[in-house]
Amino acid sequence: MAFAACNGTLFPEKPSIDSDLKGETVDIAGIAGFRKLFVLNEGQMGSNNASLDMLRLSDASYITGVFKKMNPEEAAGLGDVGNDIAVIGDELWIAVNNSGIVDVLSAKDETEIAPIQVPMPRSLAYDNKYVYVSSWNGAVAVYGSDWSVDSSQSKNPTGAVYRIDRRTKKVEGSVEVGYQPEGLAVYNGKLYVANSGGISNFLPPTYAYDKTVSVIDTKTFKVEKSIDVEINLQKVYSDGKGNIYVTSFGNYYSVHSGLWQIKADGSVAKVSDYATYTAIKGDTVYCIGNENEFDYLALPEWKTWKCKAGAAASWTINLDGVNPYGLAALSDDSFVIADAVDYFNPGNVSLFVDGAKKWTVGAGICPGHFAIW
Amino acid sequence: MSVSWSVLAQEADTLAASSVSSVKSLPVTRAAEEMRLTGVEPLVSDAVRRFTGVQLKDYGGAGGLKTVNVRSLGSEHVGVFIGGIQVDNAQNMQVDLGRFSTESFSSVALYNGQKSRRLQTAKEYASGAALYLEPAKPEKDAWRIRARVGSFPTAGAAVRRDKVWKDLRLSAGAEFLYSGGRYRYRFFDTTLVRENSDIRSLKLDSRLEGRLLGGVWDLYLYAYGSERGFPGPVIRRASGFPFSAERQADQDAFLQGGWRYDTGIPYSAAVRFKLSDSYTHYDTHPEKNPMALPYDLHFRQRSAYVSLAQSLALGNRWSVDLSTDAQRSVLQADRDYAVKPERTTLAAVLAGRYMSPKLRAAAHILWQGAWDAGTFRGAWMPSASLHWEPLEWLGLDAFVKRSCRLPSFNDLYYIAVGNVNLRPEYADQAGLDLRLQGRHLAFRVSPYCNLVTDKIVALPTATQFRWSMLNIGKVDIAGVDTRLEASNTFGECKLQGTLRYTFQSALDHSDPSRQTYGNQIPYAPVHSGSVNLQAEWRGWTLAWETSVTGHRWSTTSNTADYYLPPWTVSDVSLGKSFGIFNVSLRAGNIFNAQYQMVKGYPMPGANVMLCFGMTYANRNASKPLPR
Repeated sequence: MAFAACNGTLFPEKPSIDSDLKGETVDIAGIAGFRKLFVLNEGQMGSNNASLDMLRLSDASYITGVFKKMNPEEAAGLGDVGNDIAVIGDELWIAVNNSGIVDVLSAKDETEIAPIQVPMPRSLAYDNKYVYVSSWNGAVAVYGSDWSVDSSQSKNPTGAVYRIDRRTKKVEGSVEVGYQPEGLAVYNGKLYVANSGGISNFLPPTYAYDKTVSVIDTKTFKVEKSIDVEINLQKVYSDGKGNIYVTSFGNYYSVHSGLWQIKADGSVAKVSDYATYTAIKGDTVYCIGNENEFDYLALPEWKTWKCKAGAAASWTINLDGVNPYGLAALSDDSFVIADAVDYFNPGNVSLFVDGAKKWTVGAGICPGHFAIW
Repeated sequence: MSVSWSVLAQEADTLAASSVSSVKSLPVTRAAEEMRLTGVEPLVSDAVRRFTGVQLKDYGGAGGLKTVNVRSLGSEHVGVFIGGIQVDNAQNMQVDLGRFSTESFSSVALYNGQKSRRLQTAKEYASGAALYLEPAKPEKDAWRIRARVGSFPTAGAAVRRDKVWKDLRLSAGAEFLYSGGRYRYRFFDTTLVRENSDIRSLKLDSRLEGRLLGGVWDLYLYAYGSERGFPGPVIRRASGFPFSAERQADQDAFLQGGWRYDTGIPYSAAVRFKLSDSYTHYDTHPEKNPMALPYDLHFRQRSAYVSLAQSLALGNRWSVDLSTDAQRSVLQADRDYAVKPERTTLAAVLAGRYMSPKLRAAAHILWQGAWDAGTFRGAWMPSASLHWEPLEWLGLDAFVKRSCRLPSFNDLYYIAVGNVNLRPEYADQAGLDLRLQGRHLAFRVSPYCNLVTDKIVALPTATQFRWSMLNIGKVDIAGVDTRLEASNTFGECKLQGTLRYTFQSALDHSDPSRQTYGNQIPYAPVHSGSVNLQAEWRGWTLAWETSVTGHRWSTTSNTADYYLPPWTVSDVSLGKSFGIFNVSLRAGNIFNAQYQMVKGYPMPGANVMLCFGMTYANRNASKPLPR
């Protein structure tokens, strides 16, 4: 769950060295209730150009390349392919997928606290004691304390979830889950992990998409059960009331994207179509997607799911030329949408208030993930 | 009817063409660059990187992919021909020049625009630019042995046997090359060593040429096997994880040949064929690298090709050619392709030529049709070229040309990205080539402009997790290649110098609504050039080369974040031949410049290679008896 809810009051910006950073001034009328919106730019795989941007409300500025500016000693920058970002307390946790690093920064001034080694980290979730990281590493291979590998171990593409102590920043064990796990969420002592099998596309036909959610008991840190949902699962949200929501990308032609609900009693139902880009805010899951994933110019469908009412509805904003790659809901009527443009050149981030675009600013390469502090 | 092998050799060898009296066998426009391969450097790519207008894309190390891009058309538009028959790769349309050794070929030549000569295959008219590799054609019996040893560490050995009979000649060789691929490079504030970059390769080639029914036939067999590591891009990576454990094994083999009847009567013809099989096994070895995706993939590409070229001379100066080619290519893969990748291609060209001592001109029209799993793609490709030599010291070449490249199997069918509706990608070119030739000085200036349209570009679809290949790119290219050569002899000392400079503007004009519209395309330097000096004295050869590549950008966003700094690399070599032996020592990148041609792929710093050669030739060249 990349998008942590925050609780309300607007604190004045504490003086820190990052206040020297200057960015593009933007109009922040209509958004409030947080100090910073962090934007993770994934970068292009192999190009080592993941980067961190932030929208700072105290001086209404959008600042790019914050990690590099605040951490000059990390000369190689944030790394290769930023995959998820979460604000946990006053810390900013970033999963840098192809660098094998979960980087912990101070949310106050973006300085690095601890880079933690985790193989192929994908997504982050947390409870009071641990941060959970889904990982695409081979689950059968038990890596030693120095990450050496026993070569007698055979290949196995199932993934794992690692847990990291929030205080010590040390990895404390892992548990095997399904194929290429993606999103995860914690509710009531249970960790729900969406397994995608998302690279089966690129593998021989004997491989297939995964369609399960692994349920892990956070006390024993063991998989308790596995729930069949739909192929190619991606994100997991908890509404805090016992319902878990999971998105599926489908296979992009015969099975299309959708939003699925797992109720407290374990029953599974599809509640919405077209859930390629999703975000949760308060009681509402916002979805953008369409029927024809092939079509470059296809117009998106706009769906929402009201958790409390248990009802589908729709929403819309005038995208005004923006092609979504990442979505975050700041409130019921303000959204930020990231556009990766051509994936190769820098993308941009736009603010939409009351269904209309307020501004667009240049970001890094492939902006796609948000977190609020 | 009989001619000596040396005359045949000259006819076939463009390097010697200027000395041939018969104007008819010349190409209409001259090669932009040509070079004899001496074998001091092991790979063909080492020689080609000097050529003006050529950008080598090198991923570093002996095992790194090396492709050439000519005048920013894109490497898919550059045809590579061995003995006039194309080396093709329907899977990705790129030819790795690192797989070809200078031991197997006697010369390499680059043609911009259109090479137009009698009895070419239709495919020779179909690529935007062409690189010609000529297999060795012996004129006398010889044994040739070469051994090399050098940095990284590198070790190689090659042996070749040349045998000439009355109506038959053979050149057969084998070469083994190993390179550990270990070299130091700077990564920000640390120095690292390139790992998993080793390669071992074995090449066998054999060419047999003989006379039959008044014509000349040849058979050429080439086999290449290699096993290599891919070191991966240099990125921030947790120190406990390797960059890469990827390995690839390749086995390529082809047999080609033909028969050419060209004896002075008005009608001449050539038939050619090629059978090829190439196999690749790629494995990421996730058991050795927790950061690897578990890919273990096998590909096998097979193709069969036939060509008939006919030429009719109309009087002394006019001739007309009709060449027709057919090819079938199939790709087998255990990776999931949406459609079975197979392709049948037909090509036909009608060419008219006027050849006189001072003026040569040609016009061609090529039609190419390709059937891919039920989808047909056809294209017409006209071109015209002219060579005019008003004065002995002045020559002018000009050409205009439209060519296209077909979408590759990967463009069409890769399950997550392929788009079966792709059209061919077009390149329109126009170029001039003015040359002044004096006794000690030669100057060439060659301005050009190209337009690449319907460029095949990977773009994310509405669901950006799924990419698609689309015909949306457009690149406007304008540039000028220049070369100044000087040579003189002082007693026993021969001095030679070459200065090359290329300017090119290659602007992205794909989408006016984008901020990047009008920017320089990735990896195209505006300025590049080289200086080459060589001195020969009593069997000693001393050569110096400095090449400079100006700044570039890794994206179409020409901003500081994506800036790739300019680099300068200097190489020096010293050689000595005594009797049948020769020894050379080559020091590469002597100032230990740290640079990357492709972002994330550091190139080697200072390195040395010692090369020992022996040529034992029969003193009496076999001279065929006149019949």
